[in-house]
Amino acid sequence: MVGLLHAEVRKTASTRLWWGLLIPVALLSVLINLFGGLFTAAIPDEDGRLPLLLASLAYAMGLTAIFGLVHGVVGAAAEFRHRTITTTYLTSARRWPVLVAKMSVSAAVGAFYALVTAVVGVLAGLAGEAGAAFPSFGSLLAVTLIGMLAAALWGALGAALGTAVSNQVSALVGALVYVLLGEFLLSVLLGNAESVDVQRLTAFLPVNGGEIALYDLPAQVLAGPELGPAVVEALAGVTSPPPWWGGLLVLAAWTGAVAATAWVIAERRDVT
Amino acid sequence: MPGRAGDRAGRVTVTGLSKRFGQVSAVDGLTFTVEPGAVTGFLGPNGSGKTTTLRMVLGLVTPTAGEARINGVPFAELANPARVVGAVLEAQGFHPARTARKHLLTVSAAIGVPDAAVESVLHTVGLTDAGDRAVGGYSLGMRQRLALAVALLGDPQVLVLDEPGNGLDPEGIAWLRAFLRGFARQGRSVLVSSHLLAEVEQTADHLVVISRGRCVFQGPLENLRNSRRPRVLVRCGSHERLADALARTGVVEIDTLPDGWLGIAGTDPVHVGDVALEAGVAIYGMVHEKIDLEQLFFQLTAEPWQVR
Repeated sequence: MVGLLHAEVRKTASTRLWWGLLIPVALLSVLINLFGGLFTAAIPDEDGRLPLLLASLAYAMGLTAIFGLVHGVVGAAAEFRHRTITTTYLTSARRWPVLVAKMSVSAAVGAFYALVTAVVGVLAGLAGEAGAAFPSFGSLLAVTLIGMLAAALWGALGAALGTAVSNQVSALVGALVYVLLGEFLLSVLLGNAESVDVQRLTAFLPVNGGEIALYDLPAQVLAGPELGPAVVEALAGVTSPPPWWGGLLVLAAWTGAVAATAWVIAERRDVT
Repeated sequence: MPGRAGDRAGRVTVTGLSKRFGQVSAVDGLTFTVEPGAVTGFLGPNGSGKTTTLRMVLGLVTPTAGEARINGVPFAELANPARVVGAVLEAQGFHPARTARKHLLTVSAAIGVPDAAVESVLHTVGLTDAGDRAVGGYSLGMRQRLALAVALLGDPQVLVLDEPGNGLDPEGIAWLRAFLRGFARQGRSVLVSSHLLAEVEQTADHLVVISRGRCVFQGPLENLRNSRRPRVLVRCGSHERLADALARTGVVEIDTLPDGWLGIAGTDPVHVGDVALEAGVAIYGMVHEKIDLEQLFFQLTAEPWQVR
């Protein structure tokens, strides 16, 4: 297992994918946090003392998680595209340890992306929001850690998805269409249902789960504990959101489900 | 190999192995053994099920029936498979942007061999100087060499090669032959597939010939060669008188062929000519029929020219 992890680290480090995706991650974090993000206009800013950086950082983290997902999908499916999966499977008697190693390393890359997002974002925030109140260190750290967890889960989910689908283009396009559009449409559909129970399902979708986790703390800091959940509802497009850890659990459950699917498919697949 | 205990080290056993892809039966009840200390040639025309069989041995394809074992256990139960079996397969790929050295380093990490082994196998296959080039720029022959380097990285007891001659130049093929013979001489096993008998004739000690997924010959190369004895083909004035005269000298394996020639086994043209002269039988034509293994191989694997 240690060997397979080491091998996955070397595979990741020996191609351009990881830093090719890191560049847009860092650039987006700079842009979003420099200008306070899309929330600046949306949140009432009566006395100009609101620590908006917290919200823009959470928003940047949400985008970073998508890059973590892309890294996982492309990296795992590349083994099938370039037919290196034959060599990989010949180094392991069973296939599941390969999947676990891939998911672990992709999770680490996702978490690293989130860490870079936080560091670059705070520096950009210092440069661009000098007049506004600066968030407390504790709240910045909390958003950073939650962002790292969310991006790690998306990275792991991506590696599992890439293994299950194996066709690189299909897996990538499918993942992006769902994350950028599919879940939004699904949320609108569920959110407009008659039954409140059905509306609540919106909080149990993976993208929404990740957004709930990211927006919970900033919303509480910016809008107060009473209005916070309502702000999360508006931002994530969900009904009755759980707290941040609940959102992470939702994302983790989806990651587990995709991993189990990949596990079953990978064990049964004939590598010809 | 010193330090490899047990007399089963390196033995591959295939028992009743079958694979169906939908309606197509790719491999059908195959049984054979690959013994250590020898090169086993795995022969069959393209599409006869060689690749599928090798991939089942390596645990890459799940058999529909039967099983393959290496050192007495299925691939999935080997503790560190790359230390037991190395493989050079046809559809084995490389990331085009990764260098050969870095590709090998991913494998050495996975199987837990020191990184120094990478330099050693690069040297063995003659890629030391090209090791830092991206594999995307490699020729087919260089890729085959790299695939062999990967297979050797774990210092395995068994080497499985699927059509390794493809893409190699004549010099490379000669080098590979010598390498495989040396590998087997160390008491290790080699299973090498080919669709050309000539390619393994000089290397293999043992042959497994398959056609349409079934085994049609199995045994030492000598057995195949001896399965048809060389004959002298004669056209002469009187079959009866020549046959009688030959029988008196102890040559009795004589057949009349459909085209009117006489086929005489167990002798040579000089003896037949001498006997005919003595018996006063006119000879109109005489051919010494050579044993052509390739011809035998074609006969063994002949199949109607149609898509299954």
